[in-house]
Amino acid sequence: MWWRRTLSSRCRCCLGRRRSGAKWIWSFHTRPICSAPALPSGRITALQALDVWKRHFVEKGVTEPEQSSQYIIAHLLGAKTIESVEQQKLREFLSKEKTEQVWQLCTKRLSRMPVQYIIEEWDFRDLTLKLRPPVFIPRPETEELVELVLSDLQKHPRVAETQQTCLEVGCGSGAISLSLLKSLPQLEAFALERSQDAVDLSRENASRLGLQDRLKVYHMDVIKDAERMLGLFSSISVLVSNPPYLFSEDMASLEPEIFRFEDHAALDGGEDGQNVIRQILTLAPDFLSNRGRVYLEVDPRHPPLIRRWVEENMEELRYMETRHDVSGKPRFCILQKEESQGPRGGSGLRNPDPITLALAQVATASARLPPPDSPLLKINNFAQIVSILGLHF
Amino acid sequence: MLSSRLFGLCSQCSRAVSCRGFPWRTLKGHSRLQYANFTEVQRWGTNVVPKRLSHCDLGDLYDNISVQRYVQKLMEEHRIISRKLQHDHLSDSDRKALLKKHTELLPVADVFGRLEQAQKDLEEIHSLLHTGAEDEDQHLTQLLKEEEDQICSNILALRKHLIKALVPVDRLDPSDVVLEVVSGRTTGGDICQQFTREMFDMYQGFACYKNWDFEVLNYSPADYGGLHHAAVRIAGENVYRHLKHEGGTHRVQRIPEVGLSSRMQRIHTGTMTVIILPQPLEFDVHIDPKDLRVDTFRSRGAGGQSVNTTESAVRIVHLPTGITAECQQTRSQLQNRDTAMRVLRARLYQSVMGKETEQRHTARKQQVGTRSQAERIRTYNFSQDRVTDHRTGYTTRDIKEFMRGGEELEELISDLLEHSEREAVLEAVEISGWVKGQPAD
Repeated sequence: MWWRRTLSSRCRCCLGRRRSGAKWIWSFHTRPICSAPALPSGRITALQALDVWKRHFVEKGVTEPEQSSQYIIAHLLGAKTIESVEQQKLREFLSKEKTEQVWQLCTKRLSRMPVQYIIEEWDFRDLTLKLRPPVFIPRPETEELVELVLSDLQKHPRVAETQQTCLEVGCGSGAISLSLLKSLPQLEAFALERSQDAVDLSRENASRLGLQDRLKVYHMDVIKDAERMLGLFSSISVLVSNPPYLFSEDMASLEPEIFRFEDHAALDGGEDGQNVIRQILTLAPDFLSNRGRVYLEVDPRHPPLIRRWVEENMEELRYMETRHDVSGKPRFCILQKEESQGPRGGSGLRNPDPITLALAQVATASARLPPPDSPLLKINNFAQIVSILGLHF
Repeated sequence: MLSSRLFGLCSQCSRAVSCRGFPWRTLKGHSRLQYANFTEVQRWGTNVVPKRLSHCDLGDLYDNISVQRYVQKLMEEHRIISRKLQHDHLSDSDRKALLKKHTELLPVADVFGRLEQAQKDLEEIHSLLHTGAEDEDQHLTQLLKEEEDQICSNILALRKHLIKALVPVDRLDPSDVVLEVVSGRTTGGDICQQFTREMFDMYQGFACYKNWDFEVLNYSPADYGGLHHAAVRIAGENVYRHLKHEGGTHRVQRIPEVGLSSRMQRIHTGTMTVIILPQPLEFDVHIDPKDLRVDTFRSRGAGGQSVNTTESAVRIVHLPTGITAECQQTRSQLQNRDTAMRVLRARLYQSVMGKETEQRHTARKQQVGTRSQAERIRTYNFSQDRVTDHRTGYTTRDIKEFMRGGEELEELISDLLEHSEREAVLEAVEISGWVKGQPAD
């Protein structure tokens, strides 16, 4: 029945992700009805469709009205941008199916679904990634993070390591790892991700780009599964992350595109936005090789706070520098694991007897004890103590 | 027929050897080409010498006395340098400088040496031919004559090579370019925008014809199929050398297909501008990141994870000069920024180079290429089906074929290059001797 179809299309755009179970809730009181313009009875051209929808988006207060209609319609015409579509094609009449597709996708935009989710893809540096809600959409700042890592690796190649490895915490759609893999054919990458949706998407993107052999994605939470991670990774050259770094109090004021559709756990960094950051830095010395580096994307308020925290709590990490993004805001933190002072190294002992050696090991290892508030201290047996402290008997 | 042509060549050749100054006529004939008789003066720099253009051939210049004097001078210099390098005790920096000059002069010296040798051979053969008695061996005479022919044509080629070797090398010639097309302003109608798009298509066709890489950096279409402005990067062999004379204002004259003017057969005129920017290597233009301001949509607010937009346009401003470049060609902000940087670099380079060329103060300027942007360099007359380049007078028919950007455009460009090379040689001659402009013919 035609009326049910119109109703259901309205409903779909209103309810968005808030479907509860299999039952359709036909309530129109929860959100204002976002009505789409009627499907044209005759045929229209792409140019006309662009105009119709741009005006409609403006009317309904949808942000970026012109770009939204342009990117959606360009995508349906097989191009990435509207400029790359031939003028001829834009003035041809769209087929009935095409017109329906345009209407279907543009209607989704009325619910403030991000364009990247509507067309299910977006570009990141020289890659095109598949994207699906609620997996976090890569931001342009993160493109710069990858550039930073690459230029750093070029300037200081770690000749000692035969195999360069990198570890990404919170890979989302896989943007950072896949971008690094594409640019560095010799690199091997590991990625940790707590959301199953994101793990699946990362693996899918890796396959589509032919990089699945060099990327291993682990479904793990860097806070909850910390114990499992110890010993899993070692001698990593580069630890990179775009961790959730928003302040909890700022979450409520996010625009609908983000608030309604992206995974909040990928955004919320806790009261001061640094919960995940601190956890990563705590675990970093375990994973990294000597002089291995950590690259983080953070909130502009974070760098001095992180520097102070590291200086007070992390003996093995040295805060190297803060880099700015293209808008001039402090955005990226670079840290480096300092040379570890093992018993062979700087303890000054010569031919120690076993007891002295053990005591020396405990002394240096105690410097590596995690700070008091770290969940790592949930230890309950001697074996764990031994493994945490890295002692060898 | 063939032998008589050779004979003709040969006799002229011998005449040239004995009495210099005999102007060469070339054997090429283009039925399509017509040259206008120019008596206008202002196009030809500040020299008040009316010139009639003949189809120019670099070989002509060989007979120019100033050119010959210049060559002698170069050869003298080469001899001095060679002697110095061999005998004198030099410091490292001196030796380096001399070696550099020596390498520069080497091609000229080489060709000149070969030319002298060939002329000596020719004289020998002549003496053999003419001193020989009538009852000489027919076969031997035949062989000698053949040898003479060969040497004659060799000498012709060598002369051309010599002049070519005198052309000062433009070190930008092998560069890639950023080509921009910008529509002119009209009072009404979209003749300029349509013409701009046709020019864009023509250069795209030319890039294809020459097997060059054609990468669109920016494309801003106008309504109804016209083009506002566009920027492309063309990469390949000697791109700048071929395209450097395309920069300037191009004029179009046509009767529009629709509208009042069409019925009244009234000709409309429009213009568009082509800008050619050689792409320098990275280290040619040093840009301090502190001098740049990058504008993106994310400049306001905290940015980062708290903002999600599809706006990826980037604009870069070089603060000391005010030169800007922008790009919104791709969905990746970083890629757009890289592209904008490339365009900015090319524009900066151009402005730096522009200042250098202004500082040249010879009386005879290189006519082709130093015209200001406002002067039109070429007219495309669709209603009369011809294209005229105003710098050389070159005219060609079949404008439709021309606008495809294939062989016809190549021919026009070759002609332009020959003209400019000729001017470059004459200028070099002038600088060296400060001989006040003597006409080449």
